[in-house]
Amino acid sequence: MGVWIILDTKFVALLLLIAAFALFYGYMTLAKGGMKIKARAFPAVAAISEAIGRAAEMGKPVYYSTGMGQGTLNNQLNGPQTLAGISILGYTTRLCAKSGVKITYFTPIADSLPLVEETMRTSYMAEGKPEEFNPAVAINFQNEQSPFLTASLGWIQREKPAASILLGGFYYESVVLGEAGNTIGAMQIGGTANTHQLPFLVATCDYTLIMEELYAASAEISGNPDVLGSLRGEDILKFFVLILLGLGFILALVNNNSLISLLKV
Amino acid sequence: MSQIYKREMVFIVTGVVALVMMLDYFFGKNIPGISGAGNISSTLQTWALIIQLMAIGLGAINLIQVHYRQISRKTNMAVYSAWFMGFFALLLLLGFYKLATGVELYPYTWIFKNVYVSLGTTLYAITGFYIFSAAYRAFRARNIDAAILLIGGIFVLLANAPIGEVIWGGFPLIGNWFNNVGQVPGMRTFTVVGALGLLAFGFRALIGKERGFYSEVQ
Repeated sequence: MGVWIILDTKFVALLLLIAAFALFYGYMTLAKGGMKIKARAFPAVAAISEAIGRAAEMGKPVYYSTGMGQGTLNNQLNGPQTLAGISILGYTTRLCAKSGVKITYFTPIADSLPLVEETMRTSYMAEGKPEEFNPAVAINFQNEQSPFLTASLGWIQREKPAASILLGGFYYESVVLGEAGNTIGAMQIGGTANTHQLPFLVATCDYTLIMEELYAASAEISGNPDVLGSLRGEDILKFFVLILLGLGFILALVNNNSLISLLKV
Repeated sequence: MSQIYKREMVFIVTGVVALVMMLDYFFGKNIPGISGAGNISSTLQTWALIIQLMAIGLGAINLIQVHYRQISRKTNMAVYSAWFMGFFALLLLLGFYKLATGVELYPYTWIFKNVYVSLGTTLYAITGFYIFSAAYRAFRARNIDAAILLIGGIFVLLANAPIGEVIWGGFPLIGNWFNNVGQVPGMRTFTVVGALGLLAFGFRALIGKERGFYSEVQ
């Protein structure tokens, strides 16, 4: 056995990963078995239905984007954020289909397009309005940031959407889209796990999903108790990380770097 | 039935690929056939790249559909769509010419350098104005939190502007402290909780519980 297991810090990382997955799975099973999970409601998620209602009353469309995300789903930092954004897009599209509100999705990520089209088509079908789905509502810009941004700005200025929803892996377009939405008075909901863009979304949007909230939002939307169980597991993991941080702090005070060496990958 | 088949296929493919990539990362060359050139891990990564490139082709079709619809319906955007179609066809022809002959024609380079790059750079520069107006909104001292943010922001601003040091030598010291020390714990906390959220999201996706992007209704 010892021959093929690398006995280095990667092995510690693997053990921690397995422990984390076991924790998530354990709480998901407990929640499925009837354990009550109280999940904090995200104001930003609740605001989505409010924004769609506003759009329906005003007779205006909704702008939706998952951001630049390095131009591909095949990116370890931004790919999951784009997927999280697409998960929430499904819910938003369903609300739009229900209220008769037009939604247009802009993306520079060409490889996300099949997922987006399927997600939006399914949402229209779920509301019994498959004929209202038009593939042209998902517009892509071939991995290019500037054309995506220019077209978005033009569309926002022309159509004056009642709501602008920016959820995903954003780069400098966050502040541009956020300010463009503010200029026309759109209700804005933003969210990203890119720390460098978070301040811009907080400054420009009415509601923001910060870091892990972006990933947790779809769990809250689904309302499945077993999915919510993973959020409880995540909270327990946070306490574990806090303990590790405290321990590392104390050890660093006595010039002991053993914990840092053990966890460094 | 086809929907169920499609969903199960997505779960299976996701699960198998994730497992192979994890094995490659954690056990590397210790498992024969997993990593290294020509082995399963690198083959999967090549497939991912091919699918990504195919998606670009799909994206081009999507663009043509969108703009063709604008032109055929004679909307107020039709003129821009026609403009797009013209340039699309021109660059496609020039690109094919380069592929066939290996010669890059001057208009191809000229359009890229003098139209595309210039417009992109201009747009990026405009961001400065957007940041300015966003900062104005963020720094309005409406409550005690916003007032603290405003004070911190002024120090950071004056630390970065040459005039700050001229006014008072302490501005760069305090501003840089905010930059290098004050904001670090907060940002690191964000990074840690973001990573934990990603872990839980990845696990849910792996076992097929994160269904929003699997074309399932939530």
